[in-house]
Amino acid sequence: MNQASPESQFSPQSIVMLRASNLSHRVDLGNDTLTILQGVNLEIKRSESVAIVGRSGSGKTTLLGLLAGLDVPTEGVVELDGARISELSEDDRARMRAQRVGFIFQSFQLLPALTALENVMLPLELGDHKAPGAKARELLERVGLGDRLRHTPRQLSGGEQQRVAIARAFAADPIVLFADEPTGNLDNQTGETISDLLMALNREQGTTLVMVTHDEPLAARCQRQFNIDAGRVSEADQAAVEELTR
Amino acid sequence: MMSATRKLTSVRRDWRERDVRVVLAALIVAVATVATIALFASQLQSTLVTSASAFLAGDRQLESENGEPIPAQWREEARSRGLETAQMVEFSTMVLAGDEFQLVSVKAVNKQYPLRGEIEFQKEPDASRQMVSRGPEQGEVWLNPRLLKLLNVSVGDSIEVGEKNLSVTGLLIRTPDGGFNMSALSPRIMMHAADVAATQVVQEGSRVEYVNLFAGEEPALESFYRWLQPRLGPSHEWESIRDGQALSDSLERAERFLLLGGSLAVLLAAVAVAVASRQYALNQRDTVALLKTLGLGSRSIGRLYLGRLSLWGLAGMVGGLLVSLPLFWLLTQLMAQALDQPVEPRLDVMALTPALLTALVSLFAFAYPPIRRLRDVPAMRVLRSQPGEAGEKAWLDVVIAAVAVFGLVWLYAREISLVLSLLGGMIALIAVLVLLGWCLVSSLKHMSGGGSAWRLALVGLYRHRRASLSQIAVFAMTLMLATTLILVRSSLLADWQAQLPEDTPNHFLINIAPDAVPEVEGFLKARDLPLDTLYPMVRGRLTQINGEPVREVVSKESDVGALNRELNLTWMSDLPEDNRIVAGEWFDPGQTEGVSVESELAEKLGVDVGDSLGFTIGSDTISEPVTSIRTVQWSSLKPNFYMAFPPGGALDGMPATWITSFYLESDEKSDLNEFARQFPTISVLEIDHIIERIQDIVRQVTQAIEAILALILAAAVVVMAAVVSATLQDRQREGALLRTLGGRQSLLVRSTMLEFALLGLFAGILGVVAAEVAVWALQYRMFEGEFRWHWQIVVPIPLISAVVLAFLGRWQLRPVLSVSPMLLLRRLE
Repeated sequence: MNQASPESQFSPQSIVMLRASNLSHRVDLGNDTLTILQGVNLEIKRSESVAIVGRSGSGKTTLLGLLAGLDVPTEGVVELDGARISELSEDDRARMRAQRVGFIFQSFQLLPALTALENVMLPLELGDHKAPGAKARELLERVGLGDRLRHTPRQLSGGEQQRVAIARAFAADPIVLFADEPTGNLDNQTGETISDLLMALNREQGTTLVMVTHDEPLAARCQRQFNIDAGRVSEADQAAVEELTR
Repeated sequence: MMSATRKLTSVRRDWRERDVRVVLAALIVAVATVATIALFASQLQSTLVTSASAFLAGDRQLESENGEPIPAQWREEARSRGLETAQMVEFSTMVLAGDEFQLVSVKAVNKQYPLRGEIEFQKEPDASRQMVSRGPEQGEVWLNPRLLKLLNVSVGDSIEVGEKNLSVTGLLIRTPDGGFNMSALSPRIMMHAADVAATQVVQEGSRVEYVNLFAGEEPALESFYRWLQPRLGPSHEWESIRDGQALSDSLERAERFLLLGGSLAVLLAAVAVAVASRQYALNQRDTVALLKTLGLGSRSIGRLYLGRLSLWGLAGMVGGLLVSLPLFWLLTQLMAQALDQPVEPRLDVMALTPALLTALVSLFAFAYPPIRRLRDVPAMRVLRSQPGEAGEKAWLDVVIAAVAVFGLVWLYAREISLVLSLLGGMIALIAVLVLLGWCLVSSLKHMSGGGSAWRLALVGLYRHRRASLSQIAVFAMTLMLATTLILVRSSLLADWQAQLPEDTPNHFLINIAPDAVPEVEGFLKARDLPLDTLYPMVRGRLTQINGEPVREVVSKESDVGALNRELNLTWMSDLPEDNRIVAGEWFDPGQTEGVSVESELAEKLGVDVGDSLGFTIGSDTISEPVTSIRTVQWSSLKPNFYMAFPPGGALDGMPATWITSFYLESDEKSDLNEFARQFPTISVLEIDHIIERIQDIVRQVTQAIEAILALILAAAVVVMAAVVSATLQDRQREGALLRTLGGRQSLLVRSTMLEFALLGLFAGILGVVAAEVAVWALQYRMFEGEFRWHWQIVVPIPLISAVVLAFLGRWQLRPVLSVSPMLLLRRLE
C-alpha cells in the first residue's frame, strides 16, 4: 500500500506526512521542571526516511514519542497525515496508531507469551484484518522466519526477535514507521542485516520512516538527518554528513 | 487457530504467569477457607443444636405454670405447621410403698416424649444402662435408683401414686431434659401421662406444670411462635435452648469464635489477593503499553482486563469449592469421631454465599483497583518507563481495600466491636510500622556494603526498604490475625475450662432449715466432702419499683421472666468470687440498708443505683434502695441470686431456708441415700449429668475450633508464601548478579536468610503487638474477659516468624544456587 487509507483526508499539502510546529515538552518533577524539548519545528514528507541523532538524554526518544502520538507535547502541534494528533484524545490517538503507524523498538517489545506468528497477528487482529494468520505468515516468511512461526520470543535470538518485530511493524500496512534504536541491542553484523531488511521493506512499502539511532551508518542510509542537542533540533547538512561517514 | 488476542486473555495462558497463579491460588484458598468454615459452622450449629435440643427433649418448650393444661388447639396448630409435639405433666407428690413414703417429683409423659435425645434407663440396679426413646407404658413407673432404698422396693413391686397403683418396671437414670430447675426438689419418678387422671393427685389449684414440647424445622418453629405469641398469658413460658443459660453461653462463644475465624480468613485471603494482583498489575504495564502502542484504546484495555478478572473469579470460585468439599467432609468425619456418634454431612448451600461473595469482593476490591489503573499506563512506556508511575494512588487501593475488609468482617460477624477491634489493631500496626520504617532508614543509612553476611543482610534491608516495609506490613498483618485467633482461642478454652472445672459442685442441697445447718455441715465434713458457701434463701416477689407497681413500670414487651415467679432472695456479707460490681458499691461491713441487683435484670427493669425496689415476702412487704449492680456468672452452676441483701438487713427475721452445693464423685452416690435418710426434709438436686453434658459439648466445640484454627493458619502460610514470591524475580536477579560478581554461595545464603529472618522478626514483633491490642479490645467487648499480656506468645511468635521466613528466603534462592548465573539472568530477562 503506497497511499494513505481511503478515509484519510487528502489536502494538496498532504505531501507533508509529519509536521511538528513549535513543539516543547516539559516534565514536572514536583518542585522542579525539566525541559526536554524546546521550540522544535520540522517537516517530514511522504515516503521520506529520516534519522534523528543526538547524545543520550538529548530528547530523541521523547521527540519520537510525540511524533508518533504516544504522548502529547506541553506546547505546540503535531500533525500526522493531516490530522492534528496532539489535540486528539488518547483513544483517538490509539485508533490512529492502529491504522497508520508501525513501531520498532530497541528492546523488541514482543509479548513473551505469544509465538512469533501470534505477535505479528496481534496488530492485524486489533485492526480487524480479515485473514490475520495468512498475512502474518507471509510477512514472517519475508523476514526469513518462515520456519520459526511457532517459536516464542524466548526461543529466538536477538536478531530473530527484531525480525519478528519488523514483520509486526509492517503488518498493518502503516504509512509511517517509527523506529527507536532498531539495532541498539544487536551486534554489528546482525545490526547490519536488520538495517538492510528494514530499509528494503521500507522501500518496498513506500513507508515514511522516522528513526532514532546511534548507529551512524544506519543514520547515513536515511535521506535526511535531524540533530538534537539539549532539546533543540537542527537539520544536519546532508553533504557534511556524507563527508563524515564516508 | 486461536487468535492472538483471545490467547492473550485465556485463562490457560494466564496460568502460565506466576502472579496469576498466586492470585488464583489466593482466591482458591480464600473461597475454600470461607466455604469450609461456613459449611462446617453450619454443620456444627445444626449438630450442636440437635445435641443441645436434647436438653429440652425438643426444639422448643412451652410451659404453663398456672395449673391449667395448654389448649389442645395450640398443639393442633403446631402439627398443622408440620411440627411434632409431645406432652408432659410435672408435679410433686407423696408416693407410698408399704409403710414407706417419700415426696417425689413426678414427670408424666406421653408416648411421643422425648422428641429429641433419649432417656437413660436401667432394667435392674445391676443391669447395664441403656438408652430408650420413650417412657414407661401405662400402668408402669420408673424410679430414681435412690428411691429403691428410700421406699424399700425392688423392680417388679408396685407403688401407690395417689389413688393409682403403678408397677415399677425400671430405673430412671437420666432424662434428656433433666434441667437445672430449683423447683425439682425431690427424687424423680416417670410415669405415663394417661395415668395422671387416675391418681387424682392433680386437682384444681395443685402446683402442677404442664409442658408441651415441639420439634421441627426452624422456619416452622418460628412461624408457629409468631402465631402463638399473642395468645400466651403471663404464666406461659416459651423456651428455646438459647434460653438455657449455661449452655447458650458456651454455644454463643463457639459461634462467635467461628465467626471471628471466618472473618480473619477473609482478611488473610484479601491480603494475598491484594499483594499478588498488585504485583501482577505492575508486571502487566509493559504489555499494556505495547497494546496501546499497537492501537488498543484504554476502554478496550479496561474491558480486556475486566474479562480476565472475571475468568479468574470463576476459576477461583470453582477451584475453591472443589477444595472445600473434601475438607468439609473430612471435618465432618472428625466431628463424628469427637462426638462419638454418626454425623450426617449437611451441605448448606446458603452457607456458600459468603464464600462466593468473598471471591467477588476479593477480586473487585483488592485485585481490581491496581488492575483497573492499567488503563492509565501511558503508551510512552514502550519507549521508557515514566516518572512517578510506580506507587501512584496506592493509598486509594488501601482505602478501598480497608473499607471492603471491614465491610466483609462486619457482614460475617455482625459485630461492630469486632470490626473496631481489628481496625484498632491495624492502626496500631501501621503506626508502629511508620516508626519502624523511619528507624530502619535512619539507622541503616550509613551502613556500607561488603564483607560479612550481617552487613549484606542489613544493607539488603535498607536497599529494599520500600519492599521490606511493605512485606513487613503484610507479614505483620498476617501474624496479627493468626495470633489474635490463637490468643482468643486459648482464652476462650481457658475460660470454659475455668467455668466448669472437674470438681464443679454437682449437687445442691436445698431447703436446709436454719437449725439443721450445723448438722449438715457435720455430715459433709465427716465424709470429707468440700462444701461451698451456705446461702440463706428467702422466697419473695418483686412488686414495686420506686413505689410504682412493677407491672406498670416495666413494659410487657420487655419479657422479664423474673417477674413471673418468686425470686430467691439472699443476704451475704462478701461478694461471691465470680460476681463483679458494675455500678455502685458493695455493702460495707455493718451496713444493713440496700440491695444489690444482677446487672441484666437491672437493665431489663430499667433500674439503676438509687432506685428503690419493693418486695412482697409472704405477708410482709419491704422496700430497699439499690446500692449496687453486679454481674453474675450464671454459667458457673453455683447458687446465684438476682437480689442480694446485706446481713442483718431487710431480710432479717424473714422465714429463710439455706442452700449450698458440693462436689460428689459418681462412685460416692450412695452417700446421698444416707443423707436422705438422715435429713428427710432437705432436697438434694443432682446436676452431675448436666455438668457432664456441658463438659462434653465444650470438648466437642473445642475440637471443632482446633480444626478451624489449623485451617486458618494454613491460609496464613499461603499468604506469606504469596508475598515472598511476589518479589521472587527481583531477588533472584539480584542473587544471580551477586554470584556473577563473585559472591560465594555460602555468603549469599547466609545474608539472604539473615535478611529474611530480620524481616520475620520485625513483622513478628509488630504482629504480636497489634494482636495484643486487638485481643484486648475483643476480650473486653466480646468475650468479657480481662486484659493481660500473653508472654507465652509474645516471645515465641516473632522467633518462629523469623525462622520460617529465613527458610522461605532460602527456598527462594534455590534456582539461583542450582543454575548458572548466566542462564538465570537470561531466563529472567
